[in-house]
Amino acid sequence: MRALCWNGVNDLRVERVPDPTILGPQDAIIKVNLSSVCGSDLHLIGGYVPTMRAGDIIGHEFLGEVVEKGPEVMRLNRGDRVITVSIIGCGKCWHCQHEEFSLCDNSNPQPAFEEMAYGHCTAGIVGYSHAFGGYAGSHAEYIRVPFADTNCFRVPEGVTDEQAVFVSDAVPTGYMAADMGNIKPGDVVAVWGCGGVGQMAMKSAFLMGAERVIGIDRFPDRLRAAQMKAGAETLDYSRVDIYDALLAMTGGRGPDVCIDAVGMEADSGASGIEDLYDRGKQALRLENDRPAVLRQMIQCCRKGGTLSIVGVYGGLIDKFPMGAAMNKALTFRMGQQHGQRYVKRLFEHIEKGDLDPAYLLTHKWALDDAPQGYRMFKEKADDCMRVVFAP
Amino acid sequence: MIRGRDGGRRMEGSAGTLERWAAILGGTAVGFAGARRGSWALAALGGGLFLAGAAGVPLSSPLRQAALPALRREPTTTQANVTIAVPADKLFRHWRNVRHLAALFPHLDAVEILSDTESRWKAHGPGGVPVVWNSRLDKVRENELITWHTLEGADLPHRGTVLFRPAPGGRGTEVSLTLAYHPPGGAGGNAVSRLFGTAPEQQAREALRRLKRIMEVGELPTIDGQPSGRAERGRVTSKLREVMG
Repeated sequence: MRALCWNGVNDLRVERVPDPTILGPQDAIIKVNLSSVCGSDLHLIGGYVPTMRAGDIIGHEFLGEVVEKGPEVMRLNRGDRVITVSIIGCGKCWHCQHEEFSLCDNSNPQPAFEEMAYGHCTAGIVGYSHAFGGYAGSHAEYIRVPFADTNCFRVPEGVTDEQAVFVSDAVPTGYMAADMGNIKPGDVVAVWGCGGVGQMAMKSAFLMGAERVIGIDRFPDRLRAAQMKAGAETLDYSRVDIYDALLAMTGGRGPDVCIDAVGMEADSGASGIEDLYDRGKQALRLENDRPAVLRQMIQCCRKGGTLSIVGVYGGLIDKFPMGAAMNKALTFRMGQQHGQRYVKRLFEHIEKGDLDPAYLLTHKWALDDAPQGYRMFKEKADDCMRVVFAP
Repeated sequence: MIRGRDGGRRMEGSAGTLERWAAILGGTAVGFAGARRGSWALAALGGGLFLAGAAGVPLSSPLRQAALPALRREPTTTQANVTIAVPADKLFRHWRNVRHLAALFPHLDAVEILSDTESRWKAHGPGGVPVVWNSRLDKVRENELITWHTLEGADLPHRGTVLFRPAPGGRGTEVSLTLAYHPPGGAGGNAVSRLFGTAPEQQAREALRRLKRIMEVGELPTIDGQPSGRAERGRVTSKLREVMG
């Protein structure tokens, strides 16, 4: 089959590779119909996640059809149209039993790296480096999914392919960001990053009762989508001081909930010296992650408010304003998505028309064009929110 | 979930102390090099390969005494711990069935039951070197505890304990595996013992992880055999590339 392989920093190629086979009794093979790019892929492609190996197939947000299943797969049948949650749960461990699927004890086949770096290993993730299991990704004609009964979900009739594909990752990640914010009626929610996850977080915040939602970005097309599609007010951080603007919009209180949908490669906008400092340290690998958004959220958040972090971080940060966080009594919630917890609810929202993630798909391209697709996505050219490949 | 820990039991006058520390440090360095290059095979195998080479390099006793007195307090006991969402009786029964143990310790080739308390174990070291020992059960407390020790002449002299106790909050069972291992009697030249001496912590941790995965999900999650851009270049070449990083 054809698959998009990572061959080194910023070196993606579509190659011929063997078809996947069933390796465990709970595996399924999915014929991929749609497979989306994701902002977190950019961290892998750019070499910020150290455990990629040349030849790895990337991609983790996809929709397809079950074509083969292992003998212990009970809930799926050949021909089922399914999405797969990007983060693999075994379904049996204590964390999975408590719907904390991204903390699964068992789904990562290569736990040593995370145990060394993080103290414990977390779940395996599809197409997301060897630290997270090394599972082959979905930018391919076929993909093997382990523990298919736990991780694959049949798509209801009333939900289109273009809507459903984002229920793999962007929708549950955004939804969980809002959920972790513990939003109450009347709350003001600010969302840093108006990409796919940020858009879904804004929409979800409204579904959970937020009074106002403010999206922060600098790309006009994304700010426009946040206004038109997610119903948010927007701030362009390249034009305004975010702290001043947020306080002006909230009577000096600051937002009740601040959501980070950006992660480790943040721009710091106006603050040039801080940005240079972090970029320099990151380039020298003295600091893995650029925490500009985190610092800004801590500064802006109302006293006693909540920071909800779904933007991805990989390692260490410094100049973390712990004094502000502690004295303002902020609550921090964070994590990779526990998508399996939300899929059913999300499909219901989509069927009812509360939520329509299809607008995230701005470009549908052939798999053979994937390297150019990622370039466009990375440069955010041609108003690209998400390019989705159809193998 | 799974934690390894080295105890601090002192082994007076043990041969091979420095070699072992050199091996540990070297293995760590190779392991880190492997991790840095993203080569897991290198990371995992590096230590073992290093040891095979290090085995023939004895260091003089005076140097050891003079330069590294502190290192004589080398760890000889290692412990791994894991919580498994399965009741203790089920885990105990699984462990007591020696046929199941080869899945937990991949170096193990065969276990022969000699009597109620004695058994003969066959394993292989690096390069397929046969490793054989006889083991005797010391204590067996139903659903709680198994302890054993190896008998005279063992290639891998050690004592072992596996302990099962209920985890709080209905989380299943906390399992501890403790291995105390003795350096080979007399000479310092036994490569097999040295291998055992370097990686018992990892072996214990991996064994408990396999036990957990087999008991909780019924399989060991794997990526062996999945497609990649590497496989196109041929499996043998691919393995070589992994080792070479």
